[in-house]
Amino acid sequence: MDNKKISSIIFGIIPIILFFLFWELFAEYGILNPALFSKPTIIFPKLYNKFPELINHLFATIYRLLVSFFIALGIGIAIGMLMGYKKIIYRSLNPLITTVMTVPGIAMAPIFILWFGFGDPTIITIGIIVAFFPIVYNVAMGVRSVDKQLVQAANIMGGKRKNLFLNVYLPHSVSYIVIGIKLGLARCWRTIVAVEFIAATSYGLGYMIWDAYEYLNFSVVYGGIIIMAILFFTIEKTAIRQLEKRTIERWGLVHEHE
Amino acid sequence: MNMNKELIKNKLFALIQFLIPFIVVIVIWEIIVYFGLIGQLPAPSAIYNKFVYLMFEKNILTNHIYGSLYRLILGYILAIILGIVVGSIISLKKIISDMLTPMLSLFIAIPTIAWVPVLLITLGLGDKTVIAAVFLGGFFAITYSTMHGIRMVDKNLINAAKISGAKKLSMFISIFLPGSLVSLIPGLRLAIGYSWRALVGAEMLAAMVKWGVGKMIYTSRFWNDVEAMFLGLVIIGIGGLLLDQLLMRYIERVTVERWGMVSEG
Repeated sequence: MDNKKISSIIFGIIPIILFFLFWELFAEYGILNPALFSKPTIIFPKLYNKFPELINHLFATIYRLLVSFFIALGIGIAIGMLMGYKKIIYRSLNPLITTVMTVPGIAMAPIFILWFGFGDPTIITIGIIVAFFPIVYNVAMGVRSVDKQLVQAANIMGGKRKNLFLNVYLPHSVSYIVIGIKLGLARCWRTIVAVEFIAATSYGLGYMIWDAYEYLNFSVVYGGIIIMAILFFTIEKTAIRQLEKRTIERWGLVHEHE
Repeated sequence: MNMNKELIKNKLFALIQFLIPFIVVIVIWEIIVYFGLIGQLPAPSAIYNKFVYLMFEKNILTNHIYGSLYRLILGYILAIILGIVVGSIISLKKIISDMLTPMLSLFIAIPTIAWVPVLLITLGLGDKTVIAAVFLGGFFAITYSTMHGIRMVDKNLINAAKISGAKKLSMFISIFLPGSLVSLIPGLRLAIGYSWRALVGAEMLAAMVKWGVGKMIYTSRFWNDVEAMFLGLVIIGIGGLLLDQLLMRYIERVTVERWGMVSEG
């Protein structure tokens, strides 16, 4: 890490520290009602004391997130590629996808609870559904955006199907696919937490804060939100960032212009 | 005249093409239910009957829809105004916007629904909570895209305006604001999706809210009224589609695409 990066991290942390400091002071001097807003010096020790239980909540959510995201990724890329290849498939699926895409996952929860009961099957199914749409939509767009002349050129030179896919379609639609992954993961995350509110039975960050709210345990509610922010921020800055670096920049679509 | 007719014909054709898959799905769905292949799945005709019943016999469906629309519009407009104002103020000084960007990304990482317990605690169990959730859903995305847009404004343009002696306010109105639209308009589109989802989620969780499409789905759960649940989903789907494909796409078309700032996509 160079100096510039370190200083930008320090700069970024200052407002966050100030935020907690003001929260603490406001609650201490009664500007914010501490009974409702809690305060950082209560929240953090509380989280520390709950640590073993917290780990369970955390892993339950991460497990659901990963399982549903990767299933959605597989199905989404497969169907998206098909939609990109064949116009008729695109025409028949696209209207359905653009419509169902706007339905929030939490609205489907009551139906799936009825079908699958409370717990993982419901949460993971809804997670798959919501992550699937942004992925399939963007993969199809990406494949359709590939220059037809390139495909023809590859065909003339006798490129096999596998090679056509690996060397033409994949690299040229990768920026779309990465956008799809980004949006899909973000929606999956938001929806899984939301569905955990009403469908989880024992563990999960969403379950934790809703449960804490119902027992008027407000410092756990705030603590849970802080943990969520840190968790998804970390995922975005590490996994997604790496993915962008390794695909878009490597396959040159961004790189060429620089 | 002729051009117009051609245009209408094309639009009509596109609409039919759009609707055909739905018709196919509805027919297959009806057949599946008729032969009882999947249990507890209501037939499209049953959902339609429910719609007629709730709409015309009990007259409550419009209440649900108005309840949701009112909260969405209020919360979303608040988010636009405050998002653009806050985003612009933060962007006035580069160092401040650099400092606040990580904090903003942290806030964006929080699912909007997670704010709902906090809002229930602080604002009560009613309308205010739902409107605030809609607001929060849109606010961070709009703030972020405003900041991003202002950062992308061409430095040469700024210098040119400075040299010709433009005042701060006129510079903001005629350079920064239009320049940031490339990022702001897609941000608004993203934000209305977030707000829309926050609306439904918050309606389900806020106990004192009586009307709202989200509430309708949630309360149907207690009567095992699957038709009403599906009807709610259909309304939400159509509503979301109209918002995104008609309203937001239209705004994109008449602004950034017309001005040639982004290619059509």
